[in-house]
Amino acid sequence: MTFVALALLLAGSPANAAMNQEQMVQLLRTLDDRQQNNGDYKSLVYLEQKEKDKTDVVREAIVYRRSADQKLMILFSKPKSEQGKGYLRLEKNLWSYDPNVGKWERRTERERIAGTDSRRADFDESRLAEEYDPSDEGEDKLGAYSVHKVSLKVKDGVDVAFPIVKLWVDNETSNILKRQEFALSGRLMRTLYYPRWQKLYSESKKGDFWYPPEIRIYDEVEKANSTIVLIKTVDLHSLETNIFTKAWFESKSR
Amino acid sequence: MLQLLLIAARNLVQHRRRTLLLGGAIGAVTALLVILIELSTGLRATILRSATTLMTGHVNVAGFYKVTPGQSAPVVTQYEKVLATVRQTVPEIDYIVERGRGWAKVISDTGSVQVGLGGVDIEHEPGLHKVLRIVQGNLDELAQPNTILIFEDQAKKLDVKVGDTLTISAPTPRGTNNTLDLRVVAIAKDLGLLSAFNVFMPATSLRALYQFREDSTGALMVYLKNIRLVPAVHTRLRNALQKAGYTMMDEDPKPFWQKFESVNREDWTGQRLDITNWDDEVSFVMYTVTALDVLTGALTFILLVIIAVGVMNTMWIAIRERTREIGTLRAIGMQRARVLWMFVTEAFVLGLSTTVSGAVLGMLICALLNAAHISVPIGVQLFLMNDRLTLLADPVKIFLSVLFITFCTSAISLIPSLLAARMKPITAMHYIG
Repeated sequence: MTFVALALLLAGSPANAAMNQEQMVQLLRTLDDRQQNNGDYKSLVYLEQKEKDKTDVVREAIVYRRSADQKLMILFSKPKSEQGKGYLRLEKNLWSYDPNVGKWERRTERERIAGTDSRRADFDESRLAEEYDPSDEGEDKLGAYSVHKVSLKVKDGVDVAFPIVKLWVDNETSNILKRQEFALSGRLMRTLYYPRWQKLYSESKKGDFWYPPEIRIYDEVEKANSTIVLIKTVDLHSLETNIFTKAWFESKSR
Repeated sequence: MLQLLLIAARNLVQHRRRTLLLGGAIGAVTALLVILIELSTGLRATILRSATTLMTGHVNVAGFYKVTPGQSAPVVTQYEKVLATVRQTVPEIDYIVERGRGWAKVISDTGSVQVGLGGVDIEHEPGLHKVLRIVQGNLDELAQPNTILIFEDQAKKLDVKVGDTLTISAPTPRGTNNTLDLRVVAIAKDLGLLSAFNVFMPATSLRALYQFREDSTGALMVYLKNIRLVPAVHTRLRNALQKAGYTMMDEDPKPFWQKFESVNREDWTGQRLDITNWDDEVSFVMYTVTALDVLTGALTFILLVIIAVGVMNTMWIAIRERTREIGTLRAIGMQRARVLWMFVTEAFVLGLSTTVSGAVLGMLICALLNAAHISVPIGVQLFLMNDRLTLLADPVKIFLSVLFITFCTSAISLIPSLLAARMKPITAMHYIG
């Protein structure tokens, strides 16, 4: 249903006819809706970090999410030095845990995850319509793909890592193919590519849930740095009720 | 007493070889101790001079502002009101510097470094001109917006020179990423650990980077006419600001950048002030002074034990050689106590004359090393906080060292001297050595 709505929306906006504000907001809602499953989520994630003059590091983690109260948990399992470390988001607070020191540290929601180029938002549910005001930038070409370009500006009073975002949405599949994020100064900070999208039927949503199995993140300030996020084995079944607690996290960290 | 001194001096002269050997050892230990003391004093003075200009005042009124419990910024908001209270409370002020504070990534085309930012108003920073040695560019150009001063090692890592552009990237207190492009206007000589993590930029640019308001600063760095007043002023300021209605952070003698973790863990939001002094802010580098002091103490102890054994052996030999003389002196009426003092005086004269000579020699070596302006390798610079070896005499410490070594040599001679004094005159006179 959402796919049809989005396809109609994009199809109805030829290069010379820009979308109006209402259509743009609807587009964001649809993009968000495609990536939300209104239930629980669990996936196995690999993060491959490349940094200049450093050896590449691959981390394995399990991501847990619950739509109802916007909870998120990232628990690292590999390499051995990272085992048991992770993040837990509780009531707008992001907590980081290190089993070596046995302490929880409150972190900003917008900081890098495990020092990579990824952010919490890359693993969380999409909330574009809630956080940004869109503006239309018309049709564009991304390699062989015809895309619709959308510019987003953060809403007043909302805290995000990047106040300006540009999206390239595929006209044919309605998937986000490219995303660019800018600092307050207007400088380009990150470029993200989503080469593939997959869908799963979600029981809780009673509809399709879309996710990108691969995200390529390029640091545009330190050009040599990049991170590849691979999302594997997505499970949309219900999780244990008390899973999003510090105690549960610590028990898994041991 | 004069008689005893005369006997001691004559005996020492008579046994010239033994005296020279033992005296040389005592003198060498004293000279070494004096050099180590001067090195430690020089290091402490360098840290005090450099640190109290680069990163801290004698007393600092700083603090944190938290928008949410998890996000803190090293900021004092509405600082002019705080400044008025400080001026009212501390009449001993020499001058006050307002310094912006931040922690950010400095990025060039080829590399990046994580550094502490110092937001300065260069026209009101007399100390920086005295402490920083500019090797390229002009420090006064920091008056222009969007400029930066970096240190030699940072310039090397980032592969930049004066005129090149660097990007600074940091999140604002609300967690939104921001960047600023700054032109390198000056490159200063390294100052060890103190310069490894610091750069300076105009306070206005720092405010722009973090989106701070005009009435905010990082810290009010208070400089006193007399540094000995620091503890008293520290306590007085804390009480006065508390009385003026400001919420104070708990006392924690650490530099501000080591407090982020604990501050972020606490649940409060808004402004809290923190009073620290120069000792707290440089505690992370003072370990080098402590390590040097411990090394000096350990080395002195070992050398003193060796000297003690030497003194004791020498006294044993002297007593054995002079047993018949002791017997004769006792037979003609010399009291036991006087025999005891005769040998102790000999050790005292030896100790005093050689420690004084050693101290003079040590001071001469230090003066020569200072005059030679010896450059030290980069690894050593990190700990010396300077690119040159600086030694500084502390007359009180040197005087106490001379007294201590003399006391030790005299005290250790008490054991053989006591045994000599307890000899029976008849036995001593018949002694055939």
